[in-house]
Amino acid sequence: MSIRLAGAAIFLIAAFYAWTAQNYTASFGDVLGPSVFPVLVGIPAMALALSLVVFPGGTVAWPAGGRILRQVIALAMLIAYALLLKPLGFPLATFGVIAGVAIVLGGPVATSLIIAATGALSLWGLFDRGLGLPLDFLGPVFGG
Amino acid sequence: METLTLLGNGFSVAFQPLHLGLLLFGCFAGTLIGAMPGLGPVNGVAILIPLTFAFGFDATASLILLSAVYFGCMYGGRISSILLNIPGDEPAVMTTLDGYPMAQQGHAANALAISGVASFIGATVAIIGLTLFAPLLARAAIYFGPADYFALYVMAFATIGGLSGVDPRKTLLSALIGLMIATIGLDPGTGIPRYTGGSFHLYDGIDPIVALVGLFAISELLFLLERAIKDRDTAIRLTTWIPDVRVVVGTLWATLRGSVVGFVAGVLPGAGASLGAVMSYSIEKQVSNKNGTFGKGDPRGVAAPEAGNNAASAGALIPMLSLGVPGSGTTAVMLAMLISLNVQPGPLLFERQPDLVWGLVASLYMANVMLLILNLPLIGLFTRLMAIPTWALMPLVVAISFVGVFSISNSTFDLQVMIAFGVLGYVLRKMDITLVPLVLGLLLGADMENNLRRALSISGGDYGVLISSWISFGLYLATAGFLALSVWLAIRDKRRVAAAAADPID
Repeated sequence: MSIRLAGAAIFLIAAFYAWTAQNYTASFGDVLGPSVFPVLVGIPAMALALSLVVFPGGTVAWPAGGRILRQVIALAMLIAYALLLKPLGFPLATFGVIAGVAIVLGGPVATSLIIAATGALSLWGLFDRGLGLPLDFLGPVFGG
Repeated sequence: METLTLLGNGFSVAFQPLHLGLLLFGCFAGTLIGAMPGLGPVNGVAILIPLTFAFGFDATASLILLSAVYFGCMYGGRISSILLNIPGDEPAVMTTLDGYPMAQQGHAANALAISGVASFIGATVAIIGLTLFAPLLARAAIYFGPADYFALYVMAFATIGGLSGVDPRKTLLSALIGLMIATIGLDPGTGIPRYTGGSFHLYDGIDPIVALVGLFAISELLFLLERAIKDRDTAIRLTTWIPDVRVVVGTLWATLRGSVVGFVAGVLPGAGASLGAVMSYSIEKQVSNKNGTFGKGDPRGVAAPEAGNNAASAGALIPMLSLGVPGSGTTAVMLAMLISLNVQPGPLLFERQPDLVWGLVASLYMANVMLLILNLPLIGLFTRLMAIPTWALMPLVVAISFVGVFSISNSTFDLQVMIAFGVLGYVLRKMDITLVPLVLGLLLGADMENNLRRALSISGGDYGVLISSWISFGLYLATAGFLALSVWLAIRDKRRVAAAAADPID
């Protein structure tokens, strides 16, 4: 069922992709222009995706509810990291993501916190001090 | 003779202190990455690429480092195969078949030594092959016109799934998804934005490096979270580190056979190290399994696949360097790095940047010797480091991936793109859709489109130009033959599975 659904989703995306390509026109440039290649890619993709809907190959074993929850929590932390990196500054945000992911993976809390603190500070030291890549120590949230 | 002179120059490049240091570090780090279950050559190399940018290395230094890591992974993968019965990376799967039984019978030291020596011989045979054949292939590829390159790319996409028996539709679809992603951004020919949704962030297109780190590192984390939380399986303890030399010497023929088979598998498009190991093992089994000892701890069953996967990984560099079309996942990732550093692999690379090519080849000879030296006496150190639990390792890998990607552009938008690709990679892998064709499409899409448009500009819009030369015609013919073969294999496997399911004995 998952394969059929994914096939349908890919079919729709490929159809939209090939359809949109027709709008890309230029009055100058080469013979083919910007629209032909996407159409050449989109149409076989539609055909293959459709064949997966009609004759799905293989099955997918999705993880149980608890595991999906862990994945969602981890993903939420990663996204939070992307959003909070600048406001919080590098070391604090990185501390959070390392500790969080370690705990979700089943690490003992205290050890995870120690690893996160060491990891975040050494990465900051290596990149900001060592390689001259500016990473804010404290973000604007702290007036830094 | 000319080759020897060039190789000599290559050694003088490789002996520069920075390159030597990187080589040593790469070999050590690679062995470790390979030995850790869950991290393999593809994710190891993908995570390291942004770091090489951050360190400001040039193309030669970066390529030397990444190749050392790549080769190191091939050595390291066997350690956990033998001691834990868990392959450290995919190509090491075959090594578990006889390696773990050997360790259980108390011959772990022998198994490790055999696999180390086999890795060395396999890689050396393949690097000699690389030295001899890559320049020849590059010389032939000079005659390729735009239409021929287009045909070559079509062949690369159609064949990258290899003869693995995986549903060929999924492999092709993966390549097409990659090509679709590659067209995002400003069209190089006309400057028209395509599929950007009006976002300026996407005008430059998706950075392949950002996508790669997401596809391989983040999706690996999601896979890890899916598995049960449990303590690391305990490794078999070694009573001695000193192997029995006679047993090691006894596997010499198996090693040599495995090396040749693996090398051929590596050069073929779309095969790579995993297939090299599988083919070497099955051929060795047919040749030597007279007493039914394979699978029960036969030393030759350790030697052949290890020689095979190392030979294949060096062989896979040949199409990557001389044609610009990688033969495996890891070489595809290395291609991404070269393209990001404005180095276009292909036939002209050998003429324009002999230092890079021959410096790399010379480094590979040296890496191999270093790896053998590192791996035999330091095996105890690697097994101890291997015991670092995943919950401690993986978060650090994630943080390093983040900081590496962030360092490329200083943009948190790239971090979001990376996470999105991680989810995409996870979902596709769950559906048995391999990511390698997608990566290849993402990398080569722009070049493929350019060659198509150039060919048709030359011909004035006549599509006949695509099959007008013998080279392109031959390539399409080979592609069609390959696809037919893989469809046939997939159908045969399906029948076999159905027959096994109907069989009440199992």
